[in-house]
Amino acid sequence: MRGSLLEKLGTLVRTGVLGLWMLGVVLPMFWVLATSLKSTKEVTRSPFGIPDALAHPGAKTFAVIAENYSKAWVGSGFSAYFWNSLKVVSISLALILLLGSMAAYCLSRFEFRGRNAIYNAFVAGLLIPMQLILIPLFFQYADWSDVLTRSFAPIARVLQLGNLTVSLHNSHEGIILIYVAASLPFTIFTLTSFFGTLPGGVREAAMIDGASEARTFFSVMLPLAKPGLITVAIFNFLGLWNEYLFGIVFLADNKLKTLPLGLASISMQAQYKSDFGLMFAGLVITMVPTLVVYLLLQRHLTKGITAGAVKG
Amino acid sequence: MSPKHLSRDTKRFLWIGILPSALLYALFVIWPAINALMYSFTRWDGLSTPVWIGIDNFVNLFKSGSDFVTAIGHNIYLTVVPGSIILTLALFFAWMIHLKVAGSTLFRVTFFFPNVIASVAVALLWVLLYSTTEMGPINNIRQALHMEKVPFLESARLLQSIVPMMVWSATGFYLVLFLAAMENIPVDYYEAAHLDGASPTLQFIRITLPLMWDVLTTGIIFLIVGGLKFFDAVWVMENGRPSPATHTMSSLMYAKVFEEYNVGYGTAIAVLLFVLVLIITRISMRLLKRERLEY
Repeated sequence: MRGSLLEKLGTLVRTGVLGLWMLGVVLPMFWVLATSLKSTKEVTRSPFGIPDALAHPGAKTFAVIAENYSKAWVGSGFSAYFWNSLKVVSISLALILLLGSMAAYCLSRFEFRGRNAIYNAFVAGLLIPMQLILIPLFFQYADWSDVLTRSFAPIARVLQLGNLTVSLHNSHEGIILIYVAASLPFTIFTLTSFFGTLPGGVREAAMIDGASEARTFFSVMLPLAKPGLITVAIFNFLGLWNEYLFGIVFLADNKLKTLPLGLASISMQAQYKSDFGLMFAGLVITMVPTLVVYLLLQRHLTKGITAGAVKG
Repeated sequence: MSPKHLSRDTKRFLWIGILPSALLYALFVIWPAINALMYSFTRWDGLSTPVWIGIDNFVNLFKSGSDFVTAIGHNIYLTVVPGSIILTLALFFAWMIHLKVAGSTLFRVTFFFPNVIASVAVALLWVLLYSTTEMGPINNIRQALHMEKVPFLESARLLQSIVPMMVWSATGFYLVLFLAAMENIPVDYYEAAHLDGASPTLQFIRITLPLMWDVLTTGIIFLIVGGLKFFDAVWVMENGRPSPATHTMSSLMYAKVFEEYNVGYGTAIAVLLFVLVLIITRISMRLLKRERLEY
């Protein structure tokens, strides 16, 4: 009896301690959300009170919310940043999953000359910090843009396109290529071991039925690999959606900026420093997409980390 | 299947499957990595012809009192201090959840929240939390407790102020990692220990820690590599202009190349960062092999 009472007390204390940490984690986020519903005047008057818009809901107080968010979404260009992020990340992800899964499948299910060398080369990329390739890519892009422009010039002349300049700097295409290439080591590493766990007879059965390799891959193997693809997709999504270092180098043009870049540049501009409503609304707009994706897919993400932990 | 038995269809599929990835990877990762090594042995402003100067850049990096020596010190600080707090807290919380609590899923899910938020947003969130204006919560609490306001974000204090931010944002990830490892340990071990009268603390030290050693090492590698690469928060909190008092290796690299046009010197920093990552991963893997326990 005493033992079980002690046990219950222990559970209670542990739950209490964890609950405190949870408050510490969640409160700042709620504070940002609440403050984004206040006008700048209200922020200064009652920085920690319940927002008027919630305490006294009505047309007048809701106008404050509308103002903050429309100022951020339209006035400061967060809508453009959001669509840029969506474009860059979704195209990158589609390419990463397509190319990465094909390469991983080939490397895991077939034996051919050079297979191990290719696989090892990809995996070695896990150890290359993005910082190492940042500067050379910057200068490579300038050279390549020149070469591309010059080689397209005759074609442009024939097609009467005028002066066609190709630039990998300050272009979404340019950074997508880097994102895809830099994500391949992790993707191929994870998916190769995933394809390795799939039952061996499946491919042979499909082949006996007369399906080509491509058909077998796309309609039999790829659907089987869905759990692995989802895990890889989440990790790449989070990493790319939040990416900053390459963005500041390759997307300097304000029109092209993604959410983290836009948020950083707006917060660095002094004139916005006193516009609290805008700052907090922008912060919410940046935070929400990844939180939503996480909440929808957290089971897969936890599973991914768990699989990694079990394998060590 | 031996290579001889590959049909034409299979061979074509292999080419189409591997070539695009290999090409992209070679052009956008391997080639720049090789170029980085070459740049680091030159003096180059990015426009004129690079001048080969051997290892001068690396020698200059380590001249006493150089910005780089200070910066690497900052990286070590941002690895060791937050790292040890994060490890301790993550282990502690994971162990508590493992021992059974009410609402373990809720804790697991919410603790992870800050980890999925963009590092830029996390940095800005903490800029606001630390604010000295009337809406800065932390300074407000200090004033309520009759303490003086502290300019947490001034250069001299910035690195210390980043520590709580890192702990806040990273602990959840390591908790999930460690908890998974703990739950993977067979229950029989604990039951046997329990029968022998071992206390929960002793069970933790004698069973849990040794059996999750490899995952712990993985966590430590992540923390060290993350600390070596640290960039985003320093950059955002310093408005894109870190001073020698706050530079990390990455931000110094950026400033040297894109503001001082000292490409060779800046790239040498990147190469050194790469070498450090290699060495640390290698050493940790060695240790891991030696300590690995099979069960």
